[in-house]
Amino acid sequence: MDVEDVLGDVVTMEDLKKFEKEYHNQLTTGTVSQETKFHYAWCLVRSNYPADIRKGLILLEQLIKHEASDDDAKRNYLYYLALGNSRIKEYSTALQFIKAFLHMQPENIQAQNLLATIQKKMESDAHKGMAVAGALALGLSAVVGIGFALSKSLKK
Amino acid sequence: MDPSVLTTLKILLIGQSGVGKSCLLCRFTDDTFNVDNAVTIGVDFKMRKITVDNNNIKLALWDTAGQERFRTLTPNYYRDGQGAVLVYDVSNRDSFTCLETWINELNRYSTKSNIIKMVVGNKIDKERQVTREEGIAFARRHQTLFIETSAKTKEGVYMAFEELVRKIINTPSLWEKLEDANVVRCNDDHSVSEQKYCYC
Ligand SMILES: Nc1nc2c(ncn2[C@@H]2O[C@H](COP(=O)(O)OP(=O)(O)O)[C@@H](O)[C@H]2O)c(=O)[nH]1
Ligand SMILES: [Mg+2]
Repeated sequence: MDVEDVLGDVVTMEDLKKFEKEYHNQLTTGTVSQETKFHYAWCLVRSNYPADIRKGLILLEQLIKHEASDDDAKRNYLYYLALGNSRIKEYSTALQFIKAFLHMQPENIQAQNLLATIQKKMESDAHKGMAVAGALALGLSAVVGIGFALSKSLKK
Repeated sequence: MDPSVLTTLKILLIGQSGVGKSCLLCRFTDDTFNVDNAVTIGVDFKMRKITVDNNNIKLALWDTAGQERFRTLTPNYYRDGQGAVLVYDVSNRDSFTCLETWINELNRYSTKSNIIKMVVGNKIDKERQVTREEGIAFARRHQTLFIETSAKTKEGVYMAFEELVRKIINTPSLWEKLEDANVVRCNDDHSVSEQKYCYC
C-alpha cells in the first residue's frame, strides 16, 4: 500500500519488538530512562494496532507531564501525541497537541504540515460521515414508505 | 492507484543535520524556502508527482533527522529505498567529510543493492569550503550521480530530483514488479483480469 502522508508511516515489527524488549528490560531493573521510554512510545504510535497506539500515547503523556527535560524534548512529545491521536482518528485531541506545539514554535513547517494533514482528514471523514448519515436517512424513508404502503394495503 | 502513474518511488534524503535536506524538499515540493528551518522531528514524509520523459511518477520522499535521539531508530527507513540523495553543505567542510559515514550506512542498510545514489552539494549561494571538483571526485569514487544546488535560489534543485528519477526509471529492475503490478502493460501475457488499470 502506498503511503500518502506522514500518518501512513508504519513501524516495522522488528523495531517495535526491539524497543519493547529494551523497555521491559529496564522496567524489571527498576528504572526506565526517558530515552528508552520515548523510543518505545515512538514505535508504538506508528503501529498498525490501535491498542499499541493508545499504549504509546499513555507513555508520551507520562513523558510530557513528568519528564520533559527541555523544549526540544517537549516538542517531540507533542508532535507524536498529535500524530498518534490522528492515527486513531481522535482528531480533536490531535489538534490540541499540534496547536500546543505551534504555540511553542509557530514557524515549524513540519508541524504546520501535520496540522494541515489532520484538518484534511477531519474534513474527509466528516464527508464520509455525512454520506453515511444520508444513506441512513434514505433507507429510513424507504422503510417508512413501505410501512405506509403496507398499512394502506391492509386497510383495504 | 492513479492509472496514469507508472510507479511510486521511494526516495531517501540523508546527510548531516543542517545541510539543507528539509529545505531541498520544501523547495522541490512547495517551491518555498525557510530561512531558519527547524530541526526535523524523527522522520518526515512528502509526496510529489513528477513527469520525466513522459512518464508520470509519484515520489514518496522520506526526510530523516540527524538528531541523536532518533539515530538508532532510523535504519529501517533505508529499506526498499530506490533512490538516495546524500546531501552535504559546500560551505561546511565537516558535512562533506562525514558523507563517507553516511554512504557507508546507506550501503549497510539499503536492501536494494543497485539503489541509485546522488551526491548533492547544497548552499552554493554561500561562500565555499568545498570545491566542485572535490564533490565530483567523491561522487566518481562512489559511483554516484552528482549535482550542486541551492535550496535558497532554487538552482539545480528540480534538476537533481529529475536526474535521479530518470536514472531509476532507466533501471527497471529497481521498480518493475511482475507479481503485483498495478500497471498492466498491453504486451504483457501475464495480465490478470482483476488488474484494473491499463497503461500503454
Ligand atoms: N544560504 C542557504 N541556506 C540554506 C540552504 N538550504 C538550507 N539552508 C539553511 O540551512 C539551515 C538548515 O536547513 P535544513 O533544511 O533544516 O537542514 P536539514 O537538517 O538537513 O534538514 C536552515 O536555516 C536553512 O535556511 C541554501 O541552499 N542556501
Ligand atoms: Mg531536516
